[in-house]
Amino acid sequence: MAKLPLEGVRVLDFTQVWAGPACTSILAALGAYVIKIEGMSRLDISHILLTAENQFTAELWNRGPYYHYRNPGKRGITLDLLHPDGINLVKRLVPACDVVIEAFSPRVMGNFGLTYEVLRELRPDLIMMSMSGYGQTGPYSDYGAYGMGLEPASGIASITGYADSGPTRTGVSFTDPIAGIAGAAAVLMALRHRDRTGEGQYIDMSQQETAIPFIGAALMEYQMTGRIPCPRGNRSSVAAPQGCYRCKGDDDWLVISISDDEEWASFCEAVGHAEWRDDERFATIIARNRNHDILDALIEDWTRGQDHIEAFHLLQKAGVKAAPVLNGKEMLLDPHLRERHYYDLLDHPTDLGPRPVARTLIARFDRMDPKPDRAAPSMGEHNAEVLQGLAGVSDEELADLEARQIIGTAPILDIPPDADLMELLAQLLFPLDRMIEQGSIRAVEPDYRRQLGLDEGAHTGK
Amino acid sequence: MPDPALSDLRVIEVAQGIAGPYCGKLLASYGADVIKVEPPGAGDLSRRFGPFPEDIPHLEKSGTFLHLNTSKRSVTLDITGETGRLAFRRLLQNADILIENCAPGQMAQWGLGYDDLKADLPRLIYVSISPFGQTGPYRDYKGNSLTAMATSGVMYVTGAPDREPLTTGGEPAEYLAGMYAWLGALAALAYRDRENAGQQVDVSLMEAAASADEYSAAMYAFMGAIRRRYYSRHLFSYPSDIYACKDGHVVVSPAAQGFPSPTATDQGASPMSLLLGDVELDQNDLFRDRWARWFRWQEFERLLQPYLESNSADEIVSFAQALRMPFAHVFNAAQLLENEHLRERGFFQEIDHPQAGRLKYTGDLFKADRMKAPLRRAPLLGEHNEEILGGELGYTKKDLEVLRGQGVI
Repeated sequence: MAKLPLEGVRVLDFTQVWAGPACTSILAALGAYVIKIEGMSRLDISHILLTAENQFTAELWNRGPYYHYRNPGKRGITLDLLHPDGINLVKRLVPACDVVIEAFSPRVMGNFGLTYEVLRELRPDLIMMSMSGYGQTGPYSDYGAYGMGLEPASGIASITGYADSGPTRTGVSFTDPIAGIAGAAAVLMALRHRDRTGEGQYIDMSQQETAIPFIGAALMEYQMTGRIPCPRGNRSSVAAPQGCYRCKGDDDWLVISISDDEEWASFCEAVGHAEWRDDERFATIIARNRNHDILDALIEDWTRGQDHIEAFHLLQKAGVKAAPVLNGKEMLLDPHLRERHYYDLLDHPTDLGPRPVARTLIARFDRMDPKPDRAAPSMGEHNAEVLQGLAGVSDEELADLEARQIIGTAPILDIPPDADLMELLAQLLFPLDRMIEQGSIRAVEPDYRRQLGLDEGAHTGK
Repeated sequence: MPDPALSDLRVIEVAQGIAGPYCGKLLASYGADVIKVEPPGAGDLSRRFGPFPEDIPHLEKSGTFLHLNTSKRSVTLDITGETGRLAFRRLLQNADILIENCAPGQMAQWGLGYDDLKADLPRLIYVSISPFGQTGPYRDYKGNSLTAMATSGVMYVTGAPDREPLTTGGEPAEYLAGMYAWLGALAALAYRDRENAGQQVDVSLMEAAASADEYSAAMYAFMGAIRRRYYSRHLFSYPSDIYACKDGHVVVSPAAQGFPSPTATDQGASPMSLLLGDVELDQNDLFRDRWARWFRWQEFERLLQPYLESNSADEIVSFAQALRMPFAHVFNAAQLLENEHLRERGFFQEIDHPQAGRLKYTGDLFKADRMKAPLRRAPLLGEHNEEILGGELGYTKKDLEVLRGQGVI
């Protein structure tokens, strides 16, 4: 494959958890040299949100699955940003960088003394992007914000939910990936602008605003009819029947969406109920919509006896839009995603070995293959490479910074004096048995490495 | 105003519906000249999606169409026939980017696949959007936002544990795919700016939606655990969910990873106990142990309920934010359009349309003074036929008359 378009571009990345790291992992996949900066006492919490194998071993902070999903392809350095020497090192790095990205609430970079005004003195054509929850201006700009709140604040939750429930969150922080894509696109355009004019610029992104266009039709409906759109389950205004139907198995489901009479006829044929096609209650899309509840019951009578994956292929081969509701395991094993290399096997440090990690830039290209060339960095893994290579730090200075804990390779945890360390760490583990009992985890499969084919490779663990 | 970022580019959008047009809209927002090629008579599919003023269908008044096609020009051209295809190929001569969303293989059947064009147009960036992508065993399967959300891992974790999985409202996978198509086109453009070569960009709705999977695949790949829906709750920090309050709904989200401890405030009490007006609660297990909360959430809700019932969303959010807890509003379409924060940021922009009238449209995805282009209304069907086919491609008035007569435009 030819070279990647962002080779030679350096990005200083202050972001954590999802939206910002999603943006910078896309830039890394395109060849940028992305430097992830963390504080040892302000580490990216995704290091410890989940723990591989749900077990503590040495360096547990380097074993966070979620962290590994969001940070492949980057370099990792640690800097104490609460110490003037840490800030000074940032200022020594900036002249060597093209882009600075941060996703704090607006006051934080100012508190560090690292505003755009300050940084562009060090690098006049710098591109800086702030991707806070609500943007840099306006009455909510100082609000703390995470995806759990931003999705409802963007309006998406107001049209998500069962028809008889109130607004509902998507089961993920849905604005994060949206802001991540928008952020990467903004940087690509700003780099192009710089190539053409020599000018850098400042980008003020509000994560809330990046998601509001997703409900464009609802915004128009209110303006055009006065109605405020509300949740309607899995139904649609342009397809009927449309829904999610129970299949054979513990918790297996199939979605079906039929948008015209021809597709309806194919469906009736495929499920062995040609008589439904001739039933006047279901003859047109308007009739099917009116009798949707009756239809749902009939359809579920059929799906209940079906395997969700087999029914998917059966209906698709008949020309009907259908899909199984896949869980995490089924996605990793899905033959289509496998053939398209949606998950890349990245060899991880410590004892994790190779693991499937999802693509960060969702597109395939003829002339390039933008995927991470390395697993997410261990904490502080590239302190020497980055600080010596780009900030001119000497061997002695590096040793001194380490000795004074301005840089390091392990977190400094702020533990209350009367706390029991083991008890605090135990809270990081998942009580999986109780979660299965409760229903928030479907199962835990001890042989998952074998099922994923991870035990067959060269790696045998250290 | 400085030159917008993409003002040297011409985009031909032959895609219909949501994903492709959203990609085109975003390119147009930053200055590209986007020419929308629509089937004569019927126009883009989304012209029939609605919503419509007074619920009366009208090709020029669909809210979905108007929203997705701002700042573009429209020509009509029947590319299923030979004459239309000829004109289409002439249009592509000056194009930098083509956006299409036909079933994989369909464009090739018309002689318009990437392989048919790349010899003549080596710098063309050819963006293809489809339900499952251009390769792989499902490539010929049909799909939409719902099927993509189903196969994304997201739907399995959305909804109540004893009910069916829920999709997310609107057509989110279509929008995500549109954004990835935009990003993919920009990445291919960055490649072309350096290497002087175009290429095909293949975006699938299934994978676009899968990129929103938060924990499911990682949990299985590293732990063997299969996550399932549990009231769409965040996995690490119950609450962090939507609750009813006195005048609507509110997101209760004390912090990213749970409750801030009593040391987080000057008063030596946790922000949650201060919010609820009872610092004794800091001694309660439900306040000290996130797993206690996660399993005994009904008890926690009983503690929360009286406060929520007696306060408005505005009061709750501003008080919690003053205590540094990231509570949030749950806005509906009407509340967003009237929201003071968005108004102060100038997010919505009002534009007039000769048939649909004055409406508020969503603005730029981010504020960057050196890149933005002015927002223009969506085009009428074939509004720019003469300007583009006549003026730019050199068809005479008579030619256009003939083409119109044949139903090609």
